[in-house]
Amino acid sequence: MMANKVYIIAYYTFKEILKSKILINVFFAGLGLMLVTYVATEFTYGVPERVALDFGLGTLSLSSLAISLFLGATLLSKEIDSRTVYMVISRPVPRFAFILGKILGLLGIQALNVFLLSLMTLITVSVLGGNITPLIYWAIGFIFLESILLLLVVVLVSLVANNILSTLLSLVILVLGHAVKETQSLTFVKNRGFFKIVLEAYHFILPGFYKLNLKEFVIYKTSLPFDYLLSSLIYGVAYSGFLLALTIYLFNKKNID
Amino acid sequence: MIKLQSLRKVFKSDLLTQPFVALDDVSFDVPEGSMVGFLGANGAGKTTSLKIIMDFIRPTSGAVIFSSKLGSSKLEIFKNIGFLPERPYFYPTLTGHDFLLFMGRLSEMTTTSINHEIQVWAPRFKIDHALKRELKTYSKGMLQRIGFLATILHHPKIVILDEPLSGLDPIGRKELKDVIIEVHKEGKTVFFSSHIVPDVEEICDRVVFLKDGKLAFDGSVGSLITDSLAFDYVVSVKADFSFNPQTPFKSVTILPNNLKKYIVESGNKDRFLVEMIERKYIILSIEMNKPTLEEIFYQTRGTV
Repeated sequence: MMANKVYIIAYYTFKEILKSKILINVFFAGLGLMLVTYVATEFTYGVPERVALDFGLGTLSLSSLAISLFLGATLLSKEIDSRTVYMVISRPVPRFAFILGKILGLLGIQALNVFLLSLMTLITVSVLGGNITPLIYWAIGFIFLESILLLLVVVLVSLVANNILSTLLSLVILVLGHAVKETQSLTFVKNRGFFKIVLEAYHFILPGFYKLNLKEFVIYKTSLPFDYLLSSLIYGVAYSGFLLALTIYLFNKKNID
Repeated sequence: MIKLQSLRKVFKSDLLTQPFVALDDVSFDVPEGSMVGFLGANGAGKTTSLKIIMDFIRPTSGAVIFSSKLGSSKLEIFKNIGFLPERPYFYPTLTGHDFLLFMGRLSEMTTTSINHEIQVWAPRFKIDHALKRELKTYSKGMLQRIGFLATILHHPKIVILDEPLSGLDPIGRKELKDVIIEVHKEGKTVFFSSHIVPDVEEICDRVVFLKDGKLAFDGSVGSLITDSLAFDYVVSVKADFSFNPQTPFKSVTILPNNLKKYIVESGNKDRFLVEMIERKYIILSIEMNKPTLEEIFYQTRGTV
């Protein structure tokens, strides 16, 4: 029964966002991707499929992160501001079912976006004579996982901050999450104990998005150790689970005013 | 059906601002089968009370007790409540029918029963013609009506409405009031907030007044009118021009054909009538100069 309510909320959230013409943006992103790929391959000698893959995964990553960032920031605040949340949670619907349904509905849109753009990318790479290696599928899966993680960060921050602030804060967390590994390897940081401690502490608090970034590996290598992939997958799933639990806990405590 | 027990709600937005007491020791109950109007000026604490009842916000202290007839768990209780928030705004790209399906399914109704209820109620609410249209094309009155339909779709035992009549034109208000009365006649308890006093007076049998977050009155509309002000009486008498009663009166209006209308305070009414009878004047009529609930509300500024 409860799963059914989560499904109903997810279904109508999906339908509502879908009708807001988000797919038109995805369509144009895909069209732009193919166009840019075509132009870029004209100027590239020998490795057009790599360029196609680079552009494809880049567009896919950017569009899914943008969806998480911008739609995630208003996912709950819009409901609260417009009082639609009152219509739902005044019914026999626990708050966790509401928030879970909202997140799953948006993830449905996200999945559709990832599916469509990755399909276009794979077709383009194939047409240009590239090999579709298993690592490409892993990379696509990790982009999806990264967008889930970012969405959960945004939704969590939006419970305590306004739309603009939650978008900006989440963007900062995303950039830091990608830059932290490179920063750690800098000699400047290595030689200073304080920075080292701060960056290590970072790992215990904020998500390391770099662990889910396989794009460079995909373009320059054909495979990665399975252990690495598995540990990154477990990290992403576990961190997402933790953020979801925290979001549900805070939403349960929140005064919806 | 619902009992509020010493509710207190203090808002404090940040460390620098003074705490704001929105509700202060508010206790009242909504009896089963009653139609209770919840009155108070803007900012009196009506919406805060309703939000606490619906568990949108938590009280600083005090409690809301639901009758066991509504259920034992929160989900069971909420299955028997129909709530319509103030100025509801619905998902604009959903059609009216989709929206009702959404709400009904969340209340654990089957699609068949939802459609059946829509068939019964949509013509009553005059929105049957618009069910296939997106909600963004609805007028404010239509949104209010479809919101109310969604509120009663699942046959709740109690209907809680936050300012359901505000923003509607007179015809829209009349139609919605008729439906509220009809729903009440079906045996449902109705509790609705409003700052439109005549509407409450017209359809409610009980009234709860809030003033600055405190309970100012809780009781029947009749007793509010009877208890709050001393009435005057209008006594029409046929008497000659020289007649001058010894019993004190407030004012007199002299009409043609030796007719006089005296306004007499309730405390002097009996003495005045005895004097008339003793002096063999003809009493044509006597009527109570009854104030409306609105007059009481504004005369007392909500402090009854």
